[in-house]
Amino acid sequence: MADPSRIPDVELERALRTLGSRYPYPPTPNLASRVRGRITARSVVPPSRVGLWRDPRRLALVAAVLLVLLGAAALANPATRDAIAHFFHVRGVVVNRVPSPLPSPSAITPLDLGRRVTLEQAQSSVTFTIAVPSAVGTPDAVYVDTRIPGGEVALAYQPRPGLPLVRQTGLGLLITEFRGDLVPGFIAKEVGPGTTTEETSVNGDPAWWIAGEPHTIVVQVAGQDQPETLRLAANTLVWEHGGVTYRIESGLSKVDAMAIASDLP
Amino acid sequence: MEGRPLDDVALVERARNGDVNAYEALVQQYQELAFRVAYQVTGDAADAEDAAQEAFVNAYYALGRFRPGAPFRPWLCRIVANEARNRRMSAHRRVVLAERAIRAHASGEAAPSPEAAAEADEFRSTLVATLRQLREEDRLILAYRLFFDLSEAEMAEALNCPKGTVKSRLSRALGRLRDALPADLRLPPTLGARDG
Repeated sequence: MADPSRIPDVELERALRTLGSRYPYPPTPNLASRVRGRITARSVVPPSRVGLWRDPRRLALVAAVLLVLLGAAALANPATRDAIAHFFHVRGVVVNRVPSPLPSPSAITPLDLGRRVTLEQAQSSVTFTIAVPSAVGTPDAVYVDTRIPGGEVALAYQPRPGLPLVRQTGLGLLITEFRGDLVPGFIAKEVGPGTTTEETSVNGDPAWWIAGEPHTIVVQVAGQDQPETLRLAANTLVWEHGGVTYRIESGLSKVDAMAIASDLP
Repeated sequence: MEGRPLDDVALVERARNGDVNAYEALVQQYQELAFRVAYQVTGDAADAEDAAQEAFVNAYYALGRFRPGAPFRPWLCRIVANEARNRRMSAHRRVVLAERAIRAHASGEAAPSPEAAAEADEFRSTLVATLRQLREEDRLILAYRLFFDLSEAEMAEALNCPKGTVKSRLSRALGRLRDALPADLRLPPTLGARDG
């Protein structure tokens, strides 16, 4: 304990173990009878979530039903619903309009972009052609995440003149590309009242511009046991071309983001 | 603790064959763990309760995919953590208020601990507040190892990561916890020596 500001690992572990037995948990509820009640109430074994997502036909059916229900809900009474999902014409992205987009601070996870690799290594790991916008040149870092069907690549650019720092990412520009056709629910966005969503187009493909207050972004592959990440995102332009979903996150204006996007497919 | 896995194997096997009593016994045995894991994720008692209950129901219907003889505890932890994450998404508006208060407290922006509070209590509350600031992955790995006493193999299963990476993840999480602790925090002499 010569340096009180530096608690040794072993001491910190011991302190945590001690804390574990005294952690201020609320009292544990009795779940056994309720769980039993729910299990015995069901006469038919329902499909598990994993099974559902792994069965494309069933998934398609559920998605269709959901679309109809959500559409009906939106038409019936849009103002009173807490959250209405807008199914964009961009595969791989689902946007939910919510009263407040702010996640709890503890829920926010750092950027998890996958493994840092070279652009060539990234290209050999994904099943689409990676597009790099010539307007901003070679990315400062390239990441690839192969846990996602088809793979995902992230091109990261440090802040610099013309690419202002984005507090949410610590970057000037972040471009992600993935097979939106293979992972329909990969990205969910929660958009609050301070955020605008605007339909636009990139090189003729439908696109969305999400700007204003930061929105919550959740990245997950449902039913595939991938850890989700949750964070706040800055201004985002998202579109799809040829099965690949492109996403540009920056502090840029729509015009400047569109200029970068127009370089891409 | 040592006898438990064997009991689990038998109970799980019976539950797999539709024995609801066996499954109820498993729930009874693990509801505290499930609730606490969920609470580590949600930070909200009601959401943790919902998540734990839902996880047990889902786990029952997923028993068919459970590898016979495998440890039940980490498998359950994984399901619970996933359920809790789903709850957290819908609940973040409520949690945000509580968390902000904790965060403000931890960073000294809000009410400090009463002066009368014992040194150990203050240390503990600082530790709790700092843990809650950590990213969920770090908090869970620390909780699995140091609160819930999972082995490295069990942690790998619960976190769905390769066993070889558990040690380094744990060490990184510990490092990040230390970095997040107030620089002038002292370990109270009684706490380090006390037997947990």
